[in-house]
Amino acid sequence: MSFEIQHVWHWKIAVYLFLGGLGGATFALATILHLFENCNKKMLSIAVLSSMIFLGLGTIFLLADMLQPFKAFYALTNPSSWIFWGVIFINGFFAIATFYIIPLLEEWEIFKPLINLVPKKILLFLEKLNGAAAVAGASTGFLVAIYTGLLISAAPGISFWNTPAMPLLFVVSAFSTGAAYLLLLSAIANTQEAKHIANRLERLDAVLIIIELIILGAYFNFAFFLPSGAKYSANLLFGSWVFVVLFLIAGLFIPLGIETYSIFSKRKKHNRGIIIFASTLVLIGGYLLRYFVLKVGVFQFPW
Amino acid sequence: MAKYSMVIDVKACVSCKACMAACSTENQTPFWDDKFRTHVEDKTEGKYPDVNRVFLPRLCMHCENAPCEAACPTGATYITQDGIVKVNYDRCIGCFACVIACPYDARYAYESEDIEKNETLHPDKNYHNVPHVDKCTYCDHRLKEGLEPACVETCPTGARIFGDLENKESEVYKKVASEKAKSLRPELGTHVRTFYINTK
Repeated sequence: MSFEIQHVWHWKIAVYLFLGGLGGATFALATILHLFENCNKKMLSIAVLSSMIFLGLGTIFLLADMLQPFKAFYALTNPSSWIFWGVIFINGFFAIATFYIIPLLEEWEIFKPLINLVPKKILLFLEKLNGAAAVAGASTGFLVAIYTGLLISAAPGISFWNTPAMPLLFVVSAFSTGAAYLLLLSAIANTQEAKHIANRLERLDAVLIIIELIILGAYFNFAFFLPSGAKYSANLLFGSWVFVVLFLIAGLFIPLGIETYSIFSKRKKHNRGIIIFASTLVLIGGYLLRYFVLKVGVFQFPW
Repeated sequence: MAKYSMVIDVKACVSCKACMAACSTENQTPFWDDKFRTHVEDKTEGKYPDVNRVFLPRLCMHCENAPCEAACPTGATYITQDGIVKVNYDRCIGCFACVIACPYDARYAYESEDIEKNETLHPDKNYHNVPHVDKCTYCDHRLKEGLEPACVETCPTGARIFGDLENKESEVYKKVASEKAKSLRPELGTHVRTFYINTK
């Protein structure tokens, strides 16, 4: 048996996976907040616009890494490929996000000229179905977030990737980064309503980080147990101080600690600074997870 | 309709790598960039003093259940009626999902720099005119002419045996039917058409 690290998917794909997960999850969480928390429309529109920008940017990084990006539309041919479904989910995301955000943009003076271009009948229709668009949005956002993990897991020769834990890890991580981003927005907004939302998001992110740690624990336990490429990959990761310090400690444990402190702190006055710091660490950790997963994608060749 | 297959006799291989050279020449692959459609692995097996040196020629397994075909979103990777797994260069977008999916390291990227260099070597006829993912085709362009794949024809020790499994008189059929022929990683369910004999 020989082990060889894959050499086709590098940091640009890691950026795409990160922004895809972040964008999908941000949109899903924003729509969930809309449905269950009665959010301020301006805040929602910023969140949804951000998610569209994340996904747009991510797609650019993805296309930049291909040999023939201008033929990318051919990807809608073979439904047994996860890339096919990714194209469907991402296009669905943009369509639903557009339907969803138009009524929200009416809150902004700056977008009024743009909204006035939309025929009145369509605008009323979109306003009426805004709730339905939110539900569809939550689903699409989730699908975009989880498909990135499903894509990576479809590699029979790479035992570190070829596991059902991969899509679980990626979707939990994506929602953690989405919650962290929305927490960042809430902390920056600093209104009373934003503080209430921030409370919710803090609890959500802390729980998601704990789930992520449980999945990683089970993952590495399994990987170290097998005499295969997965063990080789796990050894590479734990041999790297960058992985241990920047991802595990700074990307997971420290933000979890900060958020836990913030949740249980008797002090009524919330320290915006440390929340912003914790959220930023989670976001960096989210990218690093994908970067490292790609970096230790080790083929197990039968020779 | 044929069922093309290759059987490799591991004991016969002396690692001269003439197969790699013949393939590169025949198929204009970027040998200057250390990219080949076929390789010869040099392995040591066993523990001292019972050591053994093994040369293992490897190439695309032309799987019946090819993971690369399932992974390709554009349908650029397809399987011909004769069981040969091929890439349609014009449809390949270079997403590398197939490279990631292949458990046998059969594929590589034929990039624009490689195309430019190939153009200088073969200005009259460049087989690779767009960037794409490249792989062994069992030299199907030669099969059409009634010839064997370049690597098979070149091999001085007869380590590579090629034929049609539909032909019960062929050597490949006899080797495969005798169950002496082994496949690599059968547990993956790829149902390969490239087999090995005289090996563990």
